[in-house]
Amino acid sequence: MISKKTTAIFFLLFLFTVFFSLSSSAQNTQIKGFADVLTSYQNGKASFGFDEQDLFITSELTDRISFLGESVFKYTPSSPTDFSVSIERLIIKYNFQGNNNLILGKIHSPINYWNNTYHHGRVFYPTIGRPLLFAAEIIPLHTTGISLQGHDFGKLRFGYDVVIGNGLGSAPVQDNDKRKSVTVAAHIKPVDNLYLGVSWYNDAVSKGATVMGKVIGWKVNQNLFTGSVAYFGNKFELLTEGTLGIDKTDTTGSKNTLAAYLYTGYKVTEKLIPYIRLDDLQYQNGEIYFTKNNTTSVIAGLRYQINYLAVVKLEFQHQHAEVEGNTNSITAQFAVGF
Amino acid sequence: MKMKRIKRYQRFIFTKFFFVTIVLFSAFPGSSQTSSLTVISNQKGAPATLNFSELKSIFMGEQQRWRSGTKITIALMKTNTAAGKNTSETLYGMSGDELNKFWLALVFQGKASAPNFFNSASELENFVAQNPGAIGIVDQVAANDEIKTVQVEGKKL
Repeated sequence: MISKKTTAIFFLLFLFTVFFSLSSSAQNTQIKGFADVLTSYQNGKASFGFDEQDLFITSELTDRISFLGESVFKYTPSSPTDFSVSIERLIIKYNFQGNNNLILGKIHSPINYWNNTYHHGRVFYPTIGRPLLFAAEIIPLHTTGISLQGHDFGKLRFGYDVVIGNGLGSAPVQDNDKRKSVTVAAHIKPVDNLYLGVSWYNDAVSKGATVMGKVIGWKVNQNLFTGSVAYFGNKFELLTEGTLGIDKTDTTGSKNTLAAYLYTGYKVTEKLIPYIRLDDLQYQNGEIYFTKNNTTSVIAGLRYQINYLAVVKLEFQHQHAEVEGNTNSITAQFAVGF
Repeated sequence: MKMKRIKRYQRFIFTKFFFVTIVLFSAFPGSSQTSSLTVISNQKGAPATLNFSELKSIFMGEQQRWRSGTKITIALMKTNTAAGKNTSETLYGMSGDELNKFWLALVFQGKASAPNFFNSASELENFVAQNPGAIGIVDQVAANDEIKTVQVEGKKL
């Protein structure tokens, strides 16, 4: 969709603007991080564990250029040391005018509110884990490429993201095909604490590409349409998002996947928030890109905010999946920022 | 007779003490009363007057440059200070903890640069004086040629 020439022009434009903005400025670098520990009870067995250790670095290089890096250390059974390090975000941002930025590097795809807001900071998550549409890899979590981003324009506080990236099946350092992914997202914040957003993602996955650990045997044209509503007020919290995925191949035609979740919580006090989350994943028969496994889940939980850097959550989850059947679990998490 | 005189003297002392206490209490309003806040800025940057919604937009990280193009740098008192708590509640409508979380999230999202937090008004004023584009909020302003006071319209801080 986007030619090599266009990509090259964007890249040269970026280098040009960066070169001319290198005014001297004191560097301001900060390192912060997040971690969490868990205990869960499922199938008559209790377990202890932890998720990821997330480090993020921000650095103001000049008046207009900044850097943000996010690296995660996590358990990886296939690693000889049982652990691996992954670069989740590597962003060089150039503020070219007002609230408009040019971004180069690896970002969290600005497809939905959760992915673009909470990243790997579990202390921010309203529930213990991410919604099921993340585990099912319905949306591409990362994009490596170039993007334009703007925010808080006018009374509605309009914001936008336009991203051109390597796309599905690519390595972080190289694209696997000529096609580029395109993400276009827009949002408004008409009143304080309310966010309304929509996005569109388009990519073509080449035949033979490896995505989500499996080799894709057909060329797949993918469109993802997402809508988001988020409201985090003084008492009431609501976050609901839905993604319609349309995967098209020459042999199967178009197949639809619908993934959605709804979270709502109520602040009994400033620190204590009971909440529920409902998740639903529905795949059309004949879907060949995603692994078809219709799933519904109900979570009821309690969040206790010790302070802004320490949160305890307790959850009960009932899940029904087409493949695994019914599962019930109780999980407690202690998430911190440092 | 002597006892009566002593009692009268005691009553006089008690009445005097009562009035002195009343006078002292009315002269020093309770410490729980919040003092007013003042917006200060570097000479290069903020205009002389801002309305409250503009001020809030700036301190929420929504407006990140002045009309001149100079980057806005935010200076705040730490949220565990009286002025910091007052700023959180009056300007942001948040508790100190919520304000810290708000800024941590915004910086983590890569949407804004972190504000600079200070323990004392004099440290904050010095920072604002030395950094073009800086704007801050304090509860007491010392005379300083390098900073200016910004008038806020629409709501008393």
